[in-house]
Amino acid sequence: MPGTKFYITETKIMMEILQKGENMQESSTVPEDVKQRINWLLIFIIICFSVLIISLWYLQMIKGEELKERAVENCIRSLVEDAPRGNIYDRYGEMLVTNRPAVMVSIIPAEVGDLEELSKRLSEIIGLSKEVIEQKVKKYTDNPFKPVKILDDCKQDKIIEIEERKGELKGVVLEVQPRRNYLYHEFAAHSLGYVGEIDREELQRLGNPKFQGGDIIGKTGLEKYYDDILRGEKGGKEVEVDALGREITLLLYRKPVPGKDLILTIDKDLQVYGENLLYGKKGSIIVSNPYTGEILALVNRPSFNPNSFSSGISYSDWEKLSSNSDYPLTNRSIQGVYAPGSIFKVVTAIAALEEGVTNRKREVYCSGTFESAGQVFTCWKEFGHGSLSIVDAIAYSCNIYFYTMGKELGIEGLSKCMHKFGLEEKVGIDLPAEALGTIPSSEWKQREFKQIWFPGDNINLSIGQGYLLLTPLQIHSVISAVTTEGEIYRLHLVKKIISPDGSVIKEIKPEVYRKVDISSSTFQTVKEGLRATILKGTGWRANVKELSIAGKTGTAQNPHGETHAWFMGFAPYENPEVCITVFLENGGEGGEAAAPIARAMLEKYFNIQK
Amino acid sequence: MKEKLGKLTENLDYTLLFAVVILCFYGILMLYSSTRIESIGGEPYFYVKRQFLWMILGFLFLTIIIFIDYHKLVRFSQVIYFMAIVFLVMVIIFGRSTYGARRWLVIGPFDFQPSEFAKIALIIFLADFLSKNKSKLDNYFYFLMPFTYAGLLILLVFKQPDLGTSLVYLAILIIMLFVVGVKIKYLILTFFVALSSVPLLWFFLQEYQKKRLILFLNPNLDPLGGGYNVIQSKIAIGSGGFMGNGLFSGLQSQLKFLPAQHTDFIFSVVGEELGFVGAILLLGLYAIILWRGVKIALEAKDLLGTLLATGAVAFLFFHIVVNIGMAMGMFPATGLPLSFLSYGGSFMISNLLVIGILLNVELHKIKW
Repeated sequence: MPGTKFYITETKIMMEILQKGENMQESSTVPEDVKQRINWLLIFIIICFSVLIISLWYLQMIKGEELKERAVENCIRSLVEDAPRGNIYDRYGEMLVTNRPAVMVSIIPAEVGDLEELSKRLSEIIGLSKEVIEQKVKKYTDNPFKPVKILDDCKQDKIIEIEERKGELKGVVLEVQPRRNYLYHEFAAHSLGYVGEIDREELQRLGNPKFQGGDIIGKTGLEKYYDDILRGEKGGKEVEVDALGREITLLLYRKPVPGKDLILTIDKDLQVYGENLLYGKKGSIIVSNPYTGEILALVNRPSFNPNSFSSGISYSDWEKLSSNSDYPLTNRSIQGVYAPGSIFKVVTAIAALEEGVTNRKREVYCSGTFESAGQVFTCWKEFGHGSLSIVDAIAYSCNIYFYTMGKELGIEGLSKCMHKFGLEEKVGIDLPAEALGTIPSSEWKQREFKQIWFPGDNINLSIGQGYLLLTPLQIHSVISAVTTEGEIYRLHLVKKIISPDGSVIKEIKPEVYRKVDISSSTFQTVKEGLRATILKGTGWRANVKELSIAGKTGTAQNPHGETHAWFMGFAPYENPEVCITVFLENGGEGGEAAAPIARAMLEKYFNIQK
Repeated sequence: MKEKLGKLTENLDYTLLFAVVILCFYGILMLYSSTRIESIGGEPYFYVKRQFLWMILGFLFLTIIIFIDYHKLVRFSQVIYFMAIVFLVMVIIFGRSTYGARRWLVIGPFDFQPSEFAKIALIIFLADFLSKNKSKLDNYFYFLMPFTYAGLLILLVFKQPDLGTSLVYLAILIIMLFVVGVKIKYLILTFFVALSSVPLLWFFLQEYQKKRLILFLNPNLDPLGGGYNVIQSKIAIGSGGFMGNGLFSGLQSQLKFLPAQHTDFIFSVVGEELGFVGAILLLGLYAIILWRGVKIALEAKDLLGTLLATGAVAFLFFHIVVNIGMAMGMFPATGLPLSFLSYGGSFMISNLLVIGILLNVELHKIKW
């Protein structure tokens, strides 16, 4: 009877339940003192739980907001992606400046296990001392997941070794950054300029949000002048990262806009040729198209390697460059001011012809000496040239003829002509830091020296000596004006701005920058003189039978030692295509030193085989 | 048999059992949240599956232990204690070493942690010893006996080294001694003796343990080393706020800023994802368990039952308070897991065994 049995069991249990309280009371043999202690334990447990709840309340309800921010900070990272700077090409599209990937060796402090061991291993590879590596890592500031740069621009073989030993170099990461690469090193360094990290002063001036500390910016040359165009726009992203700094989700991404490219007016081959001609010398060569203002070559020597600035130049290297007595960083053609010497006679000649002081036919007798106001001035040819017309005076560079002109023109006549050429102003090339020469006048002398203008000052000025100082670029604007017979085109180095896909964004059109108000017959006469200079005069060393060159030599005395050698000219005489200025600092005689260089440059340009 | 089963179903403490079951599933959920992203072999349920298996196994053991009247169980107390010693010695000799500590014995496909089962052995052994010798404990010699028994286990575990677990043994011992009624002055005296031996103990501490203690005093000293855990854990809990960031949405936990977030720091995941509400719910469940435990101890039939229940309460209480306190930066990171929540097979089973002991004492308070 299973049913009955079940019933009985049920009743039995029910009875037991009814008796339960009593039952337990009877059978419990737990001493009272133990129960008392258990109550104390219960109180202790309650206290502990209360403390837990209170501190939970404190953490979550009171400090909650603050800690939430920290949680977000923990895992949101803004990463800047630099835009590649625009490339620079020569006029024929040959690449001159680009970017190369530079590999930086960094350490993520948060990922390092044993720093000492890691430093030791890394030190063996990259050659940096173990202590230096440790120091750098220990100095990390805010974010332990942010890589600390250990070595910039790591060499290829070292990179390979790091890659190979990756397993034992936990925490080491290789990061690639675009680095400015000047393909031909010293080539046109002064024109191209260099880049570097933005400094405090620039940051204040140019400011946020466009720039941040650490940004790369053009410091000199075209890099600086066209910085806005070359630089492009930084991109960046906000990412959610995990504890190891690994990207989990991309929250925001802005693609960097690459910088625009520049196509220069420079002819790479001609520039290289010029730089080789001036190798070991100090000076500059300017070659341009007078009818467009396009500069074909802008040579400056001595030069420097702008690549050394790309990775951040070391202090000792900077010291070496900046304290060099030959001033390799100076762009002589636009920043150096020098006495022009006899090439200035072209300006004096134009002034005299324009003011009617002389004409094509007037002859002046040169005995070798000239007296003015009790002072005796001499011609470079000791026993004189005899009687000369203005054309021959230019050709033989006779001082006496121009002394006479200077005396008769006076400072007013000379000033008027210099003003027509715009010599008191900058030429306005597309490069930063162009210098301004010194254009003397009676007011200027009064202001500077508290002295009146002496007649003798006219005599000195007429042959480009005395107080007069000009930049080679200013000289070049004079010869440009003579070549075109009155029009100075704006001299420039950039021909086109193109986007990375190759489409032309802007083309720099020739622009007449200054009209020189001088009669055509005056220019004709002077040009005749310039041609005669090459054919029979002081510039004979620049003569080549295949090409009709016209020009003027100059040998300028200066307080810094040896004379400066000058040459300015154009070719072909009949139908000019280019004009050229050669300047050699303390280079000796213009005819001996500068003229052959000018000839060589022109031969190169006109492709005359020797 | 049927009779026994009937009694069982009627007298079981369902409140306690129910709280434990809810806690186990709460734990499984949090474990899934903290491990789903990066599990071993890209399998999001890797940890959850294993934990679930341990849980089933644990309940199986729990069911078995309920059936054995604790009076019968303690007859084997010396054997159990001896086995615990043997296993702990085996760990030191053959144990699998991880992170410079030997804590696991590998048996077939399973790793198991004898120090977990030694906790239960200690509870049973002490309950037996103390209930038999209560009257003699005023004698200082008898008072020191349990210290010797427990001390042997503590030393063996300390040697592994596992500072946290050896502290659990100590807590169980002290609480059981307190409850059995030893003179408070004895306990205080012992406390000072222990305190004065701390400098001596310092020599025996492993380098990482010393570091942990220093970092507890100032976690910002090394925000990436040992202090990192505590800082990240506090950030995680705090950022949860009142309602939490939502399940599976904790920034800190989902992005793995929390170290050991599925084991020692699982409470931080609760705090971050379920907020104050979720954490209080959790504490509430623990409170129910401890309350039932204390009630069972009070209402036990005899001193032996009371002491067994007390040991069980001490075990659970110490793990809960120290683990949660550690997650909030109140205690040094001693590496103690959180009952029913932290991942770990041996720990899960030992917790369920302890619940089994409580249920057993409750069940056998009436005559069968």
